[in-house]
Amino acid sequence: MTDASLSTLPETLANPRKPAPFALARKTIITPILLSLLVLAIAALTVMLGSRPFNQAMIDIMVRVVLVVGLYIFIGNSGVLSFGHIGFTCLGAYAAAWLTINPLMKKASLPGLPSFLLEARLPYWQSAIIAALFAGFAALIFGKVLMRLSGIAASIATFAVLAMINTIYSNWESVTGATSSVVGIPIVRTLWPYAGAAVVAIFIAWGHAISRSGLALRAARDEPTAAAASGVDIPRERLVAFTISGAIMGLGGAAMAHSIGVVTPDTFYLGLTFITLSMLVVGGMGSLSGAVIGVLLLSALIQALRWLEAGVPLGSTTFALPKGLQEIALGVIMIVILALRPAGLIGNREITLFRVNRNK
Amino acid sequence: MSLLVLANIEVRYGRLTAVRGVSLSIKDGDTVFITGPNGAGKSSLLRAIAGVTPASCGTIDFDGYNITGKAPEDIARLGFSMVPEGRDVFGSLTVEENLMVGTGMKARDRGWKAKTAEDLEAVYQTFPILKERRHGQAGLLSGGQQQMLVIGRALMTNPRLIAIDEPSLGLAPNITDQVYERLIALQSLKALTLLIVEQSSTRATLVGGRMLLMRGGQIVLDGNAREVGNSAAVQAAYFGYEDH
Repeated sequence: MTDASLSTLPETLANPRKPAPFALARKTIITPILLSLLVLAIAALTVMLGSRPFNQAMIDIMVRVVLVVGLYIFIGNSGVLSFGHIGFTCLGAYAAAWLTINPLMKKASLPGLPSFLLEARLPYWQSAIIAALFAGFAALIFGKVLMRLSGIAASIATFAVLAMINTIYSNWESVTGATSSVVGIPIVRTLWPYAGAAVVAIFIAWGHAISRSGLALRAARDEPTAAAASGVDIPRERLVAFTISGAIMGLGGAAMAHSIGVVTPDTFYLGLTFITLSMLVVGGMGSLSGAVIGVLLLSALIQALRWLEAGVPLGSTTFALPKGLQEIALGVIMIVILALRPAGLIGNREITLFRVNRNK
Repeated sequence: MSLLVLANIEVRYGRLTAVRGVSLSIKDGDTVFITGPNGAGKSSLLRAIAGVTPASCGTIDFDGYNITGKAPEDIARLGFSMVPEGRDVFGSLTVEENLMVGTGMKARDRGWKAKTAEDLEAVYQTFPILKERRHGQAGLLSGGQQQMLVIGRALMTNPRLIAIDEPSLGLAPNITDQVYERLIALQSLKALTLLIVEQSSTRATLVGGRMLLMRGGQIVLDGNAREVGNSAAVQAAYFGYEDH
């Protein structure tokens, strides 16, 4: 402790010294830079290797980085688990499909679209931006209602949002093609746009987390009562995060649509919800680095297990795991990681260049 | 001039009534202790004023505004800063981030940035240990440091009144002394009104100021802490000789 002789305040308190400029941004910007460099390095390596299947696998990873970072913006900062975010991915993916498919095809397969969408044929990057704005707007509307809830009630309500969106998109034949696939979305095969989307998502997530709104939200996650007593309007700050994260989920949806060229409602349902939430939780819910590293590690693991299932030649024989073991092994590994490190691999920390001693 | 006026406040939790018809007025710049035994309704009263647990009846006026039934964040914006019981620092945030949280609500004011930096420096000068640990995780501070941090956090909102629930809870006596020394020094410097809940009346007697003694949800004694001291009336309130 400090010296106990401090019975009065220092003289200087009456005339405080010139204040040091506080620089949260300067201190923390190294984290998104490092994470972006990691993403770009992986992209550069992939492009240099030039293998088609590997390229496609890396595109999937970049898309997942976008999605999991999108989840982190809301879940990580608010501490409220959301099962509904993949619904916004669905909105983004279909919006991208509506905006980019050849009008002739649309008139045949999706005749119920309003004429401005039927005629539209935008480049992929424009459709991705509009898809993100559309999903963000939807998140704003849903969030206005949901953000009054907290804890498990909020989580279940977000799940209801996912179910609602899925039901609408599975049944609105003339606009979404119902459960059949919507085909003809222009496929983008170069990795760079996806890596770019991942970097954009990372920087938006960082910018939000260090903003006043993000700070207030993280405070409310730790101690809601004390945060409210410090003047934090919790539903409002949650709504800000929900909207931004909804927009990033929409961006991820558009990226997904352009990476596979086909969308169906069930692509954006429980399976994707489970895998993206797992990546966030394994990496560490409370940190941006955790979100990115969770994606990279679990994706690598999934890839390795697929590879083993397909069979590896060992001398004259082929070693192969039984089919279906991939899911089981993934589940077991996740349980082990969470048992050993309940806060995820990265925990609450962020990666930095100099190991900042947060425990000092 | 009265800063805080309570009229006939009642707080109920279901069928249990924690505070029964408390009326009082607190002058600007006063130090007021609310003391009393366990379950007297001290914390409930404080939480009702701060809007955390709304009062079930009665009215509360603060600085001329009727704040009855207002949300805690709105009451905080008016300059009523509450430090809840148990020193709940935002554990995963750094010390400096903790201090910054309460300043967000004034961000639209002119000159906010300079003012905030100035306030931050003032808090650091009052509690130098916080400056030393400014980039450390708040959850890893010791109990006394956490108490200093929550007081610092309350100061950052430039309040008219700081309400603190049991600042001595779980602290070693000499650390409690330090916390109080700085609190009292700050009060005279910044013309703050202090509203402090303590279980023991000893601290109030030491520090001085006005002392309200609660028992069974009511104020049973109201007087100058040094004069009331450890009188028979105080002992009666704690041990209940007169009641039975």
